[in-house]
Amino acid sequence: MPDAAVLKGTKDGYEIVVDENANVADVFASLRKLLNSLKTQTASTHPQTISFDVYTGMRLWSANDRSKIEKLFADYSDFSVHKITSDVITKEQSNQMLEQLSVHVVDKIIRNGQEERIQGDVLFLGKVHEGGKLLVSGNIYVLGDVKGIIQAGTPDFEDKMIIGDVHNAQQVRIGEQFEILDDTKREMNSGTVIYVNDLHVLDYGNVEDLKQINPKFFNQIGGVING
Amino acid sequence: MGKAYVITSGKGGVGKTTSSANIGTALAMLGKKVCLLDLDIGLRNLDVVLGLDNRIMYDIVDVATGRAKLAQALVKDKRFDDLLYLLPAAQNTDKSALNQEQVKEIVDELKPDFDYILIDCPAGIEQGFMNAIAGADSAIIVTTPEISAVRDADRVVGLLEQHPLQEQPRLIINRIRQHMMKDGSVMDVDEITHHLGVELLGIVLDDDAVITTSNQGEPVVLQPENPAGQGYRDIARRLEGESVPLMELKDEVKPTFWQKVTHWFKKS
Repeated sequence: MPDAAVLKGTKDGYEIVVDENANVADVFASLRKLLNSLKTQTASTHPQTISFDVYTGMRLWSANDRSKIEKLFADYSDFSVHKITSDVITKEQSNQMLEQLSVHVVDKIIRNGQEERIQGDVLFLGKVHEGGKLLVSGNIYVLGDVKGIIQAGTPDFEDKMIIGDVHNAQQVRIGEQFEILDDTKREMNSGTVIYVNDLHVLDYGNVEDLKQINPKFFNQIGGVING
Repeated sequence: MGKAYVITSGKGGVGKTTSSANIGTALAMLGKKVCLLDLDIGLRNLDVVLGLDNRIMYDIVDVATGRAKLAQALVKDKRFDDLLYLLPAAQNTDKSALNQEQVKEIVDELKPDFDYILIDCPAGIEQGFMNAIAGADSAIIVTTPEISAVRDADRVVGLLEQHPLQEQPRLIINRIRQHMMKDGSVMDVDEITHHLGVELLGIVLDDDAVITTSNQGEPVVLQPENPAGQGYRDIARRLEGESVPLMELKDEVKPTFWQKVTHWFKKS
């Protein structure tokens, strides 16, 4: 029977490949055997601890089993687990990723005292009344009427933007930066881009300058504006 | 060390919030350091009346639950240099989000830094009311000359007798329409005061400007000529211990024939 845990060297360091078809008990036995033999080999040559990536292939280990792996490593003072990776994720995680990556079309009235929290980007067609909050983890494209508080990059992502005319809003927030619009009386139009600049201050630009404002975002959408 | 007043009425819509905003502003105009506390959780208005609604970052529930520090949640009124502050109510929850200990703790924390802490009580006599009186040293009861408002005020006086504060409550009679009081169609000031058995703190006349100024977020006391504003300024001075004579009710001057005619021409 081949070993259920095999050591491999990669350009990033050491990786332990765990056989996805092997019995879990065999994996632990095999891991212990591997670490024991490594311990004797490296005792003299490596003064500092070595950290390993553990790769589990097409098998998703439960959080409980993963902590067991980490516990096993904890028995060896010279070794530690850097991370446990696999080629598969849970449906929940994949749904979350989908949610983060998609643009949600929101067409509703967010009234005084209501808070709408959304993961991912939002195309906003509805209304935010005074005292309402639209809190979005991604970017917000506003075509609707915002008179309350609007926040992109909730809770602290400063690379997000609000695009559109929100001059009626009480506050605009991106990540942890905010502005009370009553103080600044900003002029805006449907092409206004609100973003956080290099000095970590809220700044205003125009969609035509999106390429300079946020090159990463511009590449993501394919750079279709201005060819 | 400041003193905490709860502004309460039992009945809704008699002017608790307007009175809180105006008395607070009037005290700040006298150079006193004032903190207004909105306890109408879920239906907050004091921020709107003061024109501070767009400056709110944290609220009283954030402070009570430790999500924010008290100093972070206080909203400063820029019109009064460092004298007038608001601790806003939360809007996305209800009265049960706070308990009496938490309110008392917050009021006690504010007292060393302010001369006056005015607590705007929600309508009703449920948990919101109990929370509001928990931190207070004294109560200001607001009523209007309407029987229903006086009845509810009477109920509140009774509740305050059951849960006595350090000082006796005092009364404000709000939204007085002079001609109705003159012709006896509503209870007059003496009748109401006598009926409730509470010391009178002041009277405030009904005035359109109270509504227009509140819509603009500027309390009516800021208008020097306005009779309602005068009523609130008198109340602030009485709180400060001055003896200010009660405003006299005058017969409203009816327009003469020629005034009516000129008015009619102006319109067209």
